[in-house]
Amino acid sequence: MGQTRGRTLFFIPALALLALFVVYPVANTIWLSFFTPEGEFAFFKNYADVLSQPEIFDPRGFERGFPYGALIHNVIWIVLHLPLTVILGLVFAVILRDIKGGAIVKSIVFLGMVTPMVVGGIILRFLFDGNVGIIPSVLALFGFAPRTLTAYPDTALFSLIAGSLWLWTPFSMVLYSAGLETIPDFVYEAAVIDGASPWRIFFNITVPLLKPVTGVVVTMTFLWVLKIFDIVFVATMGGPGGASNVLALQMYMYAFREFNPNAAAVVATFLMIVALVVSIPTFKAAGGEE
Amino acid sequence: MIVLLILALAICSLPGATAEKKLTVISGWSGPEMDAFMPVLKAFEKETGIRVDYQIYRAEDLAVLLPAQFNAKTTPGDVIYMWSWFITKHAKDGHVLEMTGSLKDADFIPGALDAVKVDNKLWGGVYTGKVKPGFWYRKSFFKKHGLSEPKTWDEFVALCAKLQKISGVKAPIASGNGVGWPLSDITEHFIATYAGPQVTYGLIDKKVKWTDPVVKSVFTDRIVPLLKAGYFSEPIEWTMALDLWWRGDYGLYFMGSWITGMVDNPDDLGVFSLPGCEGIVFAPDYAFVPAYTKYPAEARKLLAFLSTKGQEIQVSTGGHIATYKVPLNAYPPVDRGVASLLKGVVALPDLDDTIGGEWQAAFWDQLKLLWVSPGRVNEVLENLQRKAN
Repeated sequence: MGQTRGRTLFFIPALALLALFVVYPVANTIWLSFFTPEGEFAFFKNYADVLSQPEIFDPRGFERGFPYGALIHNVIWIVLHLPLTVILGLVFAVILRDIKGGAIVKSIVFLGMVTPMVVGGIILRFLFDGNVGIIPSVLALFGFAPRTLTAYPDTALFSLIAGSLWLWTPFSMVLYSAGLETIPDFVYEAAVIDGASPWRIFFNITVPLLKPVTGVVVTMTFLWVLKIFDIVFVATMGGPGGASNVLALQMYMYAFREFNPNAAAVVATFLMIVALVVSIPTFKAAGGEE
Repeated sequence: MIVLLILALAICSLPGATAEKKLTVISGWSGPEMDAFMPVLKAFEKETGIRVDYQIYRAEDLAVLLPAQFNAKTTPGDVIYMWSWFITKHAKDGHVLEMTGSLKDADFIPGALDAVKVDNKLWGGVYTGKVKPGFWYRKSFFKKHGLSEPKTWDEFVALCAKLQKISGVKAPIASGNGVGWPLSDITEHFIATYAGPQVTYGLIDKKVKWTDPVVKSVFTDRIVPLLKAGYFSEPIEWTMALDLWWRGDYGLYFMGSWITGMVDNPDDLGVFSLPGCEGIVFAPDYAFVPAYTKYPAEARKLLAFLSTKGQEIQVSTGGHIATYKVPLNAYPPVDRGVASLLKGVVALPDLDDTIGGEWQAAFWDQLKLLWVSPGRVNEVLENLQRKAN
């Protein structure tokens, strides 16, 4: 009993810090989202107003093209980025596992991960620039007219997604590399003795045994994409014409351009709910399999 | 012993415990612009014996930082250079020290202090300004290709057509892009020229709509045809665009008067406004003293110095036009030429800097869209009006 009380005492500082710096801000943000800037209680009207803004969801985009609104842009980002991160990370990890010089290649790939996102955003801006960028120059070799890909509404978002893949795939690769080390060699040896082909080994042994890692990669990538801000802010500022706008950037615009903390709180609460809805079941599923 | 040491340190760290007062000035100038500003601060230090520190913050970052600081009743600087709309907005909320009586209207060009006044009370100081006179070109480039400044709209279009045909020229006009502001300067120049200065004022006061036929015609009859003809380049990071234009990839470049301090040979610079131009944007920099400064009297003194004597020192370094009545011989020759462009035209406030807020960001962003998709002009104007409402 005394030991339990002693343990509880040690939790108090951590709990106090969590309450002060996590629970209180979160609760206050949710509370704020139900009020108008004038301080009147609006309940869900704020949500209806903010989520119906063209900056958040613009159905006209389905007729004329980008922008579709930050919400749809985030969805596009997730749909493209998530599977590609998982596949590329896994492929890099498996290919580079046993080859000579694999560690060096891994280090090079990992450079994207250690690059600060703001610096990454600046690099992206120049990488896609029609005058000095390497990507338009390479595309020009295949007959495409050189142009600044981040300057056009139809290519801006996809350019940023490609850039974020470069910056984030190393995370997935490192996790999968660590996961591969945990698979005992005798499992593979038994499969080889049984005459399994390399593809069969990959799909029937490697992929299933890496499922807990995949759960972590999927969840972390999802959260990362959901809160993506830095590279968009630096590379395109959500433009042109909102064509690469995302929810986190829109939240910033509400808070620090419109000075409307209530609208920003609505977006923040929305992002938090989506993050919880997706990440909790994913973690549970990954843990359950384990 | 330790307690005594801590007490001594605490006493030393109390405000006023040390004799030296130190003021902090914040602005967005860095690199050569900062180098040109430092002599002004040194002159103040020499005159008053008050030490001045300088910190660099972009206005966009200050817009995020200062509201939170003010709510906590603190400030990162004693004199802060900022947009005029931001100063008046926060003056109304009690975060700015009043400057009424510290500066006299008669000492400045007419209306220079108006942007930082609320109900006839003065809440800030005005510094030097930058003129945004029109399209810059290299005299040597024009001479080499037998080109001359246009006197009519048709001549301007013909000049663009000639430039487009010159080998090695990627586009007649380089479109500088930062967060979007160089495009806004070009657009404002077109509005001031072809809709008139009153429409500019009307747009600022929200008495004229962006969908108004007069405004719309500036876009559909002037800007959009040039964009569709490929006379403007796609938006390029503005300092990179400057280098590319200077080396001959582009013939013309719309930029403010600070360009004279950014090129290798300012004597090779020529500039012309759009034919028929009636108003030129003259955008002064504004500064204010936050209400939470530790040294209000000294900070006021510094701001008054910057707004008056400081301007004379600043203009001598080039690229700046004074709002204070500074003798013409204080300017370098190239800036005297720029200052002369203001004769006979209305000196207009910078439209997007004056409106500010979310609208300013939307304006920049929508123009970036227009520049690459001129066919979406109606959508752009509707969005601008929606944001202005």
